[in-house]
Amino acid sequence: MRADSGPLIRQPWETLRMPEPVAPGPGVTELDRALGDPWDKDNPAGFVEFLAADERAEMSAAGEAILDRYGFNAEFVPVALGGRFARMDRLIEVLRTVWRRDPCLGLGHGLSSFIAAVSAWTAGDSSQRSAVANLLLANRRVAPVYHEFGHDNDLSSVNFSATSNGAGWLLNGRKDLVTDVRRADAMVIFARTRPGLGSRNHGQFFVPKPTAAQGRVRYLPRSPSSGMRGVRLDGAEFTNYRIPGESLIGEPGQGVETALRSFQITRSALPGASVGILDTGLRTALSYVRERRRYGGAATDLPYVRAVIGRAFTDLLVVDAFSSVAARALHLLPGETGVLASAVKYLAPRVLMDAMAELSTVLGAHSHLREGRYAIFEKLARDLAPAEFGHASRDACRATILPQLPRLARRAWFNGTALPELFWVGGDLAPLRFSGLVTGAPGSDSLCAALVDISEHYAGASPLGRLADRFRDELVLLRAQCVELAPKDLSLDASPAAHAVVERYTLVLAAACCLGIWWHGSGHGVPFACDETWVTAALDRLNRRLGGKVTTREETRGLEESMFRSAVRRHDDGRLFDLTGREVPG
Amino acid sequence: MSAVLDYPPANLAATLDARLGDPADRTGSFSRAHCAELDRSEEFPHAICRHLDALELPSYYIPSSLGGRLNDYEDLLYIWRTLARRDLTVAVVHAKTYLGAVSVWLAGDRDQARRLGSEIMAGRRVSWALTEPDHGSDLFASKVMASPDGSGYRISGKKWLITNASQGSYLCVLTRTDGTDNEHGHSLFLVDRSSLPADSYRLLPKVRTHGIRGADVSGIAFESAPVGRDALVGPPGSGAETVLRGFQLTRTMCTALSLGAGDQALQLATRFATERLKRDRSLIERPHVRDTLARTAALLLTAEATAIVASRCVHALTGEMSVVSAVVKALIPSLVEEMLAELAELLGTQSFLAESYAEGAFQKVQRDHRVVTIFDGSAVVNRNAVINQFPRLTRGYTEGIVDSAGLSQASHVTTPPPPLDTEKLQVLSTDGCSVVQSLPTVVEQVTQAVSRGLAPRDLARAARAVLTATKAVHERMRETRPAVRPMAADYEVAADYELCFAAAACLHLWVANAADHPAAPQPAAELWDDALWLQVVLRELLSRLGHADEGSAWRIASGSPATEPADSLERFVDLLATTGGAVTLFPGRTTGTRAPLLWKETTHAR
Repeated sequence: MRADSGPLIRQPWETLRMPEPVAPGPGVTELDRALGDPWDKDNPAGFVEFLAADERAEMSAAGEAILDRYGFNAEFVPVALGGRFARMDRLIEVLRTVWRRDPCLGLGHGLSSFIAAVSAWTAGDSSQRSAVANLLLANRRVAPVYHEFGHDNDLSSVNFSATSNGAGWLLNGRKDLVTDVRRADAMVIFARTRPGLGSRNHGQFFVPKPTAAQGRVRYLPRSPSSGMRGVRLDGAEFTNYRIPGESLIGEPGQGVETALRSFQITRSALPGASVGILDTGLRTALSYVRERRRYGGAATDLPYVRAVIGRAFTDLLVVDAFSSVAARALHLLPGETGVLASAVKYLAPRVLMDAMAELSTVLGAHSHLREGRYAIFEKLARDLAPAEFGHASRDACRATILPQLPRLARRAWFNGTALPELFWVGGDLAPLRFSGLVTGAPGSDSLCAALVDISEHYAGASPLGRLADRFRDELVLLRAQCVELAPKDLSLDASPAAHAVVERYTLVLAAACCLGIWWHGSGHGVPFACDETWVTAALDRLNRRLGGKVTTREETRGLEESMFRSAVRRHDDGRLFDLTGREVPG
Repeated sequence: MSAVLDYPPANLAATLDARLGDPADRTGSFSRAHCAELDRSEEFPHAICRHLDALELPSYYIPSSLGGRLNDYEDLLYIWRTLARRDLTVAVVHAKTYLGAVSVWLAGDRDQARRLGSEIMAGRRVSWALTEPDHGSDLFASKVMASPDGSGYRISGKKWLITNASQGSYLCVLTRTDGTDNEHGHSLFLVDRSSLPADSYRLLPKVRTHGIRGADVSGIAFESAPVGRDALVGPPGSGAETVLRGFQLTRTMCTALSLGAGDQALQLATRFATERLKRDRSLIERPHVRDTLARTAALLLTAEATAIVASRCVHALTGEMSVVSAVVKALIPSLVEEMLAELAELLGTQSFLAESYAEGAFQKVQRDHRVVTIFDGSAVVNRNAVINQFPRLTRGYTEGIVDSAGLSQASHVTTPPPPLDTEKLQVLSTDGCSVVQSLPTVVEQVTQAVSRGLAPRDLARAARAVLTATKAVHERMRETRPAVRPMAADYEVAADYELCFAAAACLHLWVANAADHPAAPQPAAELWDDALWLQVVLRELLSRLGHADEGSAWRIASGSPATEPADSLERFVDLLATTGGAVTLFPGRTTGTRAPLLWKETTHAR
């Protein structure tokens, strides 16, 4: 008898499928098929290959070739420009398909070009848009040239300058971390156009591959890294490099605004993609424990092991719920995503990292090995780290969220109306409108409104009822604290207590996403709608971060046990652990 | 005005550190640059180990009764901490010899022990071959078999993930000598690899690892390898007990590796925060950065105080080490892992780049430290061991069982601890854990000190809160049933018990030694002014224990501005800034007691 056998009652959500996304061309199924079973030792684009590439600190050539054949870059090009990008959920699913195998491949041979391209999609003119689109559709790279040591994600402080000389611009300065700049065919360079710390002194410039005639570009030595080792991070130094006037993307002084608008897309996408890492991490841990005996029984008999697996599965679903709803919000409520995208980017990578850390206690020494059957776990844990500080650090996200909270607390949280479509994960969406992305103060907070609404309708003594109340109470407490925040607390000199407010707010938002999917999703084909076990476990996990006891020890144990059993079933069936539960090779 | 308290183990460490040269000097053998290079090329640090051997460091791995210099486990703690502060790979591979030898010190006969002692002094490395490919932490499921053969034994089977299996001349091997599954079915053998026929064993290749990449983590496959009866360590069937008793020493000492890693990370981060500007002001001026540094430094001081008390317990409360060693080996690496994660967030991209900031030392120490959480018993394994002792611990707490004499010796650092009587190491503590069981008394002592004006009022409140939380933790321990396979929630109760232990250890250490620390101009003395270190440590521990008192405080980091002792925190961070993150309760001096005589004068270049 197998250790994990038990009543195998299938939950209704386990058989539901995501509707096919509305986008032309091949999709995630074809990509999965092209990449094959990553565990298969003979697969030229499997874990054996990705681990070997990581050891050499190189990109996997076999992986790149497959992505090119599939047209991975087309996923980043709007449909109107000949690509396949129309919907965030599809983008995340495609990215996750690569991320669960080799995040280096996903970042170095895809997402980094997208980070460059979104500025053109959001603020570029039609010739810039089609130039970028043509490059990507031809499987070329566009490098995002942003990072300077000493400023990290603080865009307003960059030193790299673009000076107007009437006919064009002169670029001067140094960028320290640029993804694969040597192989790129073009760059999107973020530069200062005027002195000063304000947010209207910068611009993005679309710059095709440098040629000697235009001035000097010197490539600086590569910066090796402990994770994402295959992704080449180079520096580049520009000296009096001339570019034409029409290189500027958007209007002068719009650079920070363009970044803040367009990065809402990439900041939402990155955590959603990184769910793929935990998916493989969880699959690796399950394979490990199901093959082992410990202390006179199967390793899967150990309550500790069962709990850790159940928790990691729940955490994965929490992150997927949060990023899926944020992704839908980019289509449905772009006025709110300035805050929401930062909230996902702030919380989700931390949840994923903690889950990987806890899973490593189950794998023991094997979580530390770069070889053997479970070596992919160690690599993925390293590759996950930049999801937290890269693209927008927790600090940068916090600085975006915090100033908005007093107003939202006062006006929006308890006076809003919920938008049910937000939670119809997998449901219809109109193509994303780049022009709809905005910066500035949102006037509404539909997730908090949904939480308040659901907790009012669903009061009760059940664990879920108590948890829903708990999060509503937290929102009440947060409101009291947010309206009292001093002006200093909204600045870079915010107190640690003000920082903690952001953490708690993001936990409330994540809880609202889970509750919303459960409450509003039924009747709309939404996976996991109506399943009370999942949503209770999700809120219980989030509440552990918030603190305070809501469920009893036995209730928590029961939830973890149910989630363990569900995880085992998914493992048996070869399905993803995310909300889609899609069947995948390996 | 008076001098800082004189603490011999720290003096010893300071002298050693001076002998090892400036880690920033790129030409030195034990430089940060050289260690980074060895890590990148995954090379064993031979030259550095030879340098340490030349300094007669291995003499501290041998009990003084056998001609070595090990008569105070605090010395070993401080030596390893000093090595680990520079490089964890070196610390692990050099320290392994002590781990390999400990069984012989505990159970071997005198001749065997003397012989091994002189071999170690001659620079031979000893490794400890416990784990096997398929059993991991489940040591006593081992399959390696030693079968009687004539006057000796023949060993067959595979030991894997063994540090120094290939570099070591000797291996202390745990084998099965009995077909049955019972606890007396295991025996230990001290195997001299040079005496084995070449075809009777095979070294397994170096295993590539996440951290300590230069270390020799490999294995050995015995193929009917003949060993004499004199290779047995202790009587046949005593292997399991010897290993469990040995763990009580090694697990306690391994906390030094975490302390050194924490030292290194805090210094790197403090320097970063001081130098790095954000909008024209250094990071360390920003409130949240100050908060991060203060909390992580408080964790390091917690770890330090707890490890010092634990290493004195080895001598003074020997019979209780089954609890103490498991508690500190679970707690201290976990605290340092948390520190590293928080500081990584502070360093951002620079926590991730392998060559950019300080030779990539931060990403290296973060990778290297992972191994400390795994080897010699993970937190899960150690918490399991504590859970199984819950009944005695709760009874001991209720009845207030305390070995007062032992406890006093464990806490007063100015007097040398009594010699270790290894016979007193027992698999399970009969009396529970005096450090925790004496909590009501030490809290009373703190209250009295406060009423005499020797410490701020807040401290009495904090001490009472520790007492309340500890009572609640014991209530939860009482509700836990001991089991071979404990429930997941029980591990959390054990983790909270560790925090109670740490709080109690810190209170004892302060009460016992504060009087010897009158105000002094040195930074370390400032830590003792107004019990500054104890304030920040208890604040941190209480924020973690808050949830033990069910239904009370929400457990979000630093979320309760009302209770923040702002002044003391500000003073604490200023102190961090002036010392470059090098905070320690007992700073050593190269001129202090016991220091200058012990290290041979050697010069060593790369």
